[in-house]
Amino acid sequence: MPYSYYPGCSLHSTGTAYDKSVRAVFHALGEDLIELEDWNCCGATIYMSNQETVALAISARNLALAEKLGHDLVVPCSACFTVLNKTRRFMEEMPTLRAQVNEALSVANLHPEYSVRVRHPLEVLINDFGVERLAQAARRTLEGFKLACYYGCQILRPERAVGDDPEVPMVLDRLMEAFGAHTVDFPAKTRCCGGMLITTFRKVALDLIGEILEWAVRGGANAIVTVCPLCQINLELYQDRLGPRTAEKVRLPVLFFTQLVGLALGCSPEEVGLEHQVVRVPPEYVTPVEVGNHD
Amino acid sequence: MTDAEDVRIGVYICHCGINIASAVDVGTVRALAETLEGVTVARDYRFMCSEGGQELIRKDIRELGLNRVVVAACSPLMHEITFRNTCEQAGLNGYLFQMSNIREQCAWVHDNMDEATLKAWGLVSAAVHRVALHEPLEPMKADVHPATLIVGAGIAGIQAALEISESGHPVYLVERESAIGGQMAKFDKTFPTLDCAACILTPKMVSVGRRENIHLMTMSEVESVMGYVGNFKVRVHTKARYVTEECTSCGECVKVCPVKVPSLFDELLSERTAIHKMFPQAVPGDFVIEKRERPPCKQACPIHQDAAGYIALIREGQFARAARLVRRENPLPFICGRVCYHPCESQCNRGSVDEPLAIQQLKRFLMDWERENIGEVDPPPPEHDYPEKVAIIGSGPAGLTAAFDLAVKGYKVTVFERHDVPGGMLSVGLPSYRCPPEIVKRDIDYIRKLGVTILTRRQLGRHFFLEDLLSEKPDMGFKAVFLATGAHKAFTLNVPGEDLDGVISGIDYLRNVNLGFGQITGRRVAVIGGGNTAIDAARTARREGAAVTILYRRTRDEMPAEDEEIEDAIAEGVRFRYLIAPVAVLGDGGRVRGLRCVLMELGEPDASGRPRPIPIRDSEHELEFDQVIPAISQQPDRSWYRDGGQTSNRKGQPRLLFSRWDTIEVHAESMQTDIPGVFAGGDVVLGPSTVVESMGQGRRAAEAIDKYLRGLPMQDFKTHMPPPNPRKTFESRPHPYAPRYEDIPREPRVNTPQLDPATRIGSYKEVNLGFSAEQAVQEAQRCLNCGVCVECYECERVCEPGAVKHDMVDKVTEIDVGQIIIATGYQTFDPRKMPQYGYGRYDNVLSSLELERMLNTTGPTGGKVLCKNGKEPRAIGIIHCVGSRDENHHRYCSRVCCMYALKFAHLVAERTDAEVYQFYVDMRAFGKGYEEFYARVLSEGTTVIRGKGAEVIPSRNPTNGDRHLVVRCEDTLIGKFREIPVDMVILCTALEARSDAGNVASTFHISRSPDGFFLERHPKLDPMGTTSEGIYLAGTCQGPKDIPDAVAQAQGAAARALALISKGHVLIDPVRAQIDPDRCSGCRICNTLCAFDAISYNIEKKISEVNETLCKGCGTCVAACPASAITGRHFSDAQILAELEGLLV
Repeated sequence: MPYSYYPGCSLHSTGTAYDKSVRAVFHALGEDLIELEDWNCCGATIYMSNQETVALAISARNLALAEKLGHDLVVPCSACFTVLNKTRRFMEEMPTLRAQVNEALSVANLHPEYSVRVRHPLEVLINDFGVERLAQAARRTLEGFKLACYYGCQILRPERAVGDDPEVPMVLDRLMEAFGAHTVDFPAKTRCCGGMLITTFRKVALDLIGEILEWAVRGGANAIVTVCPLCQINLELYQDRLGPRTAEKVRLPVLFFTQLVGLALGCSPEEVGLEHQVVRVPPEYVTPVEVGNHD
Repeated sequence: MTDAEDVRIGVYICHCGINIASAVDVGTVRALAETLEGVTVARDYRFMCSEGGQELIRKDIRELGLNRVVVAACSPLMHEITFRNTCEQAGLNGYLFQMSNIREQCAWVHDNMDEATLKAWGLVSAAVHRVALHEPLEPMKADVHPATLIVGAGIAGIQAALEISESGHPVYLVERESAIGGQMAKFDKTFPTLDCAACILTPKMVSVGRRENIHLMTMSEVESVMGYVGNFKVRVHTKARYVTEECTSCGECVKVCPVKVPSLFDELLSERTAIHKMFPQAVPGDFVIEKRERPPCKQACPIHQDAAGYIALIREGQFARAARLVRRENPLPFICGRVCYHPCESQCNRGSVDEPLAIQQLKRFLMDWERENIGEVDPPPPEHDYPEKVAIIGSGPAGLTAAFDLAVKGYKVTVFERHDVPGGMLSVGLPSYRCPPEIVKRDIDYIRKLGVTILTRRQLGRHFFLEDLLSEKPDMGFKAVFLATGAHKAFTLNVPGEDLDGVISGIDYLRNVNLGFGQITGRRVAVIGGGNTAIDAARTARREGAAVTILYRRTRDEMPAEDEEIEDAIAEGVRFRYLIAPVAVLGDGGRVRGLRCVLMELGEPDASGRPRPIPIRDSEHELEFDQVIPAISQQPDRSWYRDGGQTSNRKGQPRLLFSRWDTIEVHAESMQTDIPGVFAGGDVVLGPSTVVESMGQGRRAAEAIDKYLRGLPMQDFKTHMPPPNPRKTFESRPHPYAPRYEDIPREPRVNTPQLDPATRIGSYKEVNLGFSAEQAVQEAQRCLNCGVCVECYECERVCEPGAVKHDMVDKVTEIDVGQIIIATGYQTFDPRKMPQYGYGRYDNVLSSLELERMLNTTGPTGGKVLCKNGKEPRAIGIIHCVGSRDENHHRYCSRVCCMYALKFAHLVAERTDAEVYQFYVDMRAFGKGYEEFYARVLSEGTTVIRGKGAEVIPSRNPTNGDRHLVVRCEDTLIGKFREIPVDMVILCTALEARSDAGNVASTFHISRSPDGFFLERHPKLDPMGTTSEGIYLAGTCQGPKDIPDAVAQAQGAAARALALISKGHVLIDPVRAQIDPDRCSGCRICNTLCAFDAISYNIEKKISEVNETLCKGCGTCVAACPASAITGRHFSDAQILAELEGLLV
C-alpha cells in the first residue's frame, strides 16, 4: 500500500542520506512513498513557544495536505514526528483550538478532519512488514557491524507511537540483529543528544554527546545507528571536539537505520547515501550481496 | 400495616454543626416537615447524635407519645444504630425508626442552597412516608462458638493467636507455608531498637507450637467459608508434608537429596534441597518435601516408573541405588531397557528445550551395570502368606507382571504358557538383535525366584479349559484366573494368492526364526505393513541374507513403527516404498513369484485419524518377490473359547464378551470379565499394544485380583493408569523456580553407540551398545527435575526415626468457629516493573528483602554484605519509594521503607567500610523512637540526598577493573543533578496486597479498598472490622504498617473476638427475606439464586424456606420470585413504594 512522505527540512539538507535511504528501503520493499506536495515546516521551532496557535496552524497544514492523499504519513525525523503527532493530538482533544486552526486553513481551501496517522518509518517497517519478512528479504548480512542502537529521546515518549518500552527499548536492536548485526549493551540509548543546544549552549551539548559516544565505545561498538537527523549530526560531527569530561578518543561512523536496512535489502552504498558520511564506514563492514535464494 | 393505628411521627433535622446547615436551610425543611401527614412534631438541632439531641427524641417519645421517629442527618452507616438505641431506651422499638442521609448524599455534594434544600426536603418526605409503614422487629439471638480461626501466621496472626489462647479459648491458626513467622522471619534486625527479628519472634513461635489450645495447621489454606457470625463452617485444605512428627530435624536427609532448587525464603539467592526446613528456627520443626505435579515421565509411564528418581541417582553416581529404584516398580527392567516404546520420553519436558532425556537407555545402562557389578539380585520377600492359588494364562509382559505382583503379595501363582519358552511376544516376537534371549530369561528367572511356577506347552482350549481352572480337579483349584493370551493371530491381506507357498505372516515368521524352527527366507522378500512387526521382520530377513523391500500404503509420517527402528532399518539396507499396496499375490507352480501392486494417494482422514489411502486408477504393476510377509497387525485368537470353552452351556451362565476385533471386554477399572473370578488384560484386551502398556494392565489386574480374593470392594485402585492427556502445569518452565525453557542452555542428547550397520546385518548381536558410566552421568545432568522432588526415596532410606512417608496425601478438614481474623500479610513490589533501576539486568541491584536475607546470619552469605564478585561494596545507594507514591504503580506510601532504609544504613556501616547514600523523597520517621533513630544514623555518617533516584546505570569508568553502578538523581536541596558511583544499589520496594487477595476476599466475603488491601469497616473508628460481621483484619493485609502497629492491631482484633466470645451470643439484624408459605409454589428458583445458600426446599411441605441466620438480606430472591411469595422484611413493596412517593415532592 502506498504511503505519503514528509521529509522535513533536515532531510532535504544535511540529512540527505536519510532521505535517500528511506526512499531506497521502501523502493526495495516495493512500496510507494509519495512526497507531499508543497509541504512546509513541521513546527519544531521556537515559534511554537512564541505564537502557539499560529505555529499549530502552520503545522496542521501538512496534516491537511496529507489527508488529501489519504494514506498514512511517514515522517523520518524524530522532531517532525513528535510535533506533527502533537499537532494532531491537540486538534483532536481541543475543539476550540481546532476551530481556530481550521478557520485559518479554510482560507487555503483545506478542511482537515485529522484522520491521517503520523508514523515513523521504524514503526512502519516493524508493524506493517514485520521483522521476519524483512529478514527473509535480506540479500546481505550486516554481520560486520557492532552497533550501538541510539533511539534518541523523542520517538518513544511522549508519543508512544513506536510502542516500545521508553526506558529500555529494543525494537531497533532486534531489527538490526535480524539482519545479522551484533548489538551492544548501550545504557545511553534514550539519552538526549543535546539537540539544538549545540547552537546555543554548546558546552552542555558537547558533554551530552561525549557521554553517549563514550558509552558506545565502552560497549565495543564500531558504529552507531540512529533514527533522527539532528542526533546523527550531533553524534557525528563533533567527535574531535568533545569536552574534558570525555575520556575516550572517538571515531565512530553514525548511520541512519534506513541506511543499514537498505544495505541489508541489497541496495548499493550509493543508493543509501553512504558517501554523505563524514566519518566513513570502513568498506570491510559492508559484505557483498549474496546471489540466489534464501530461506 | 397500621391503618388502624394512629401514626405519630417525630422528625428531627440535624445541622451537624455547619456540615449540613451551611448547605441546607434546615429551618425550611423542618417547617415543611411539619406539614406532612402523620407528623406530630418536627425539630432541628445542631448535633442530633449528642446527648442533647438524643434526649430530645426520648423526651418527645415519652411526652408526646411518638410511635415513629425520623432523623435526617448523616449516613446510616454512622449513626443508624445510635438512634435505634435511643428509641429503644425510651421504650420504642428501634425498627420504627428511619434515618435519612442529608449530609453525604446531599449537603456535601451540592453548592446551591436552594437545590440542596429541595433535595433534603424530598429525602425527609420520603423517610416520613416510609416510616409510617414500618413494623416493629426483634433482632435474632445466635450463640457464638468460642473457637476462632486465624488465617495467616505472620507476626500479626501469631500475636492474635497468643492473645486469644491466653483466655483459654481455642484457636485454629491456618498457615499456607510449611512454617510460621511470615515475612518477619526473614528479617535480620528491626527498627528502631535494632532487636533481632528472630529473637523476638522465636519465643512467640515456640509458644504457638506448644500451647494445647492453638491448633496449628501449616501447609493449609481455607477452601470455603459458610455460615454467619458466631457460627462459621470452614473447610481447610492441608497439603501433604510427606514428613511426620517423628522428625528430629537431624538433617541427614538433606545430605542425600539430589535435587536443589532456589530457595524462596532466601529470595532466590541461595538453593535448598527438595526436602528441607524453611529456616533453622522454623516452627513446626519437621522437615517438608516439596512435590509439585508428578513429573510427566512418571505420569506417562503405565507402570509409574520413577524415571526422574533413578536419573537423579545416576547423576549422583549412585548406580546400585538407582537400579534398586528401577526394580521397585518394574519386574521386567532388562526387557524394558531394551524394547520399551518409552512414552516417558515423549512427555519429557526437556523436549521443550532441546531433546528428551534418553530415559530408556539410562535404564538399560543401570541394569547392565547391575549385572556386571552386583550380579544376581533377589526379589523382595512376599508380604503375606495367602493360601489362594491364582492361574495366569500367558507368560507375556501382562501375565509376568501380574504373576510378579501377586507373588509378592503372597499368592500361589501358576502361569500356563502354550509355547516352548515363556515370554509371549518377548520371546517369539522380538528379534534377538533388539532383545537377546538371555535378557528375557534373566528377567523371567527373577520372577521365578518368587516361587512362581511357569508351565510351558500347556495350551488353554486344548490341554485344559477355563472351567477346569476354577474347579477342584487335581492340579487345579484356582480361585482366580487372569487371561493374558495376547494377540497372536495375524490379519490376512484378503487378496488372491495369499495361500501360495512363500506367504507367511510377520509374527509367524518371527516366531519361527526366534525359536529356531528352521524358517527359510527367500532372496527377494516383500514385507507388507508399517508397524514394529513389519520392521522386525524386514531386519530379520536382512540378517538372513535377503534383499528386503517394505511396502506401505501410506507415507513414512503415518507409519506406526518407532522412528529409531525405521532409521535402523534404513541403515541396514531395507528398502522402503510408500503409497503402494498389493492387490494380488502372483504365483508360479504354487510358489510366490511376485506381487501385483497399485499406487495410492492420501485422502481424507479415516477412523484412525490418519489419511485414508485411495488407489490411483490405472497404476497397477508387477513386482518380483520370492517371499511375501504380510505384517498388518494381529488380533487375539478366540478359537479356544468356542462356545464358552465350557463343556456345558447352561442358560444364565456368565460368558466372556468379545468385541468385534476379538478382544475380551473387561471392566475398565478392575479388568474383570463377566465371569466371577476371571480377569483379562494385555494385548488380549487392548489389541496389539506395547510391552509396558501390557505390563500396566497386568499390574492393575493383580491389584484387582487381590481385592477380589480378600473380599474388598473394587474401588480406590492405587495402581497407576496414565492420564489420557497429561496437563502441563506451566507452559514456559518445568516448575516455578526453574528458568524458562528458552533460557536453558542447549545440550545435545547423548545417544547410545550402535554397531556399524554394514557389519551388523551379518549377525543377531545386539545393535545398541549401551552407555558408559560417563555417558550416563552426562545424559542424566540434562534432567530438569520437573516435580522438584523426584521420589528417589533416598531421604526415606536415611531417616532413622522413619519420619519420611512419601505416600501421605492431602486432606480436607471441616472446622467450626465463631469468628475469623484475617492476617494474610503482604508481598513486595516487583522492581522489574521499573526498568530504569536495572533490577534483573545489572548485577548488585537488590530489593530490600534480598538485602535482609544477606544481612541475616542464616542467609546466603552468612550475614556478610557482598557483591556478586565476592568483594565487599565500597559504597551502596539506597533508593526510596520504588513503586510507592508513584502514579504509575502505587499511589500510597508504604510506611516502613524510610525506617528500614535507615536501618540498612546503620547495619551496612557497622559491618563494612562502605559509604552509604540514601536517595529519599521525604523522610518519614513518625513513630516512637523513630526520629531519634534517624538522628543517630545521620550522625553515623550516612549521606542523605533529597531527590528520587532517576536511574541506575553501569559506570563508564571502571575503577581498578571493577565495573560499578552509578545512581543518577537530582539533588533538590542544592538544585543540581548528581551521579553517585556505588557498588551496590538497594531498592526500597513497595509493600503491596498479595496477588491472591482477590480470591481471599471472595472466600471470606470481604471487600478490598482501591489500593488492593482489604477494606476496613471505618478507617478511623474501626480499622480492624470488616463489613462482614465476625470477620476482622490484622496486620499488613489491611494496609502497610510496621511491626509495632501490626502487633497492636492483632491484639485489637483479638480483643474484638474475645468480647463477642465472652458475651456468648450475638444479635443478628432481622432485615431478612421471608417466604409466605401460602403463596410459594415450590418452583425453587430462589434456591439456586441465593449466594449464601440460605434457602432450602422442604420436601414434605413442598415449599422453600429461608434460614434466617444465613440470610444476609440482599433481596435477590425477593426480586426473582415469580409468585411474589418472598418479601424483604423492613423492605416490603409497600414501604419502598411509599418512600418513592414521598420523594416526589
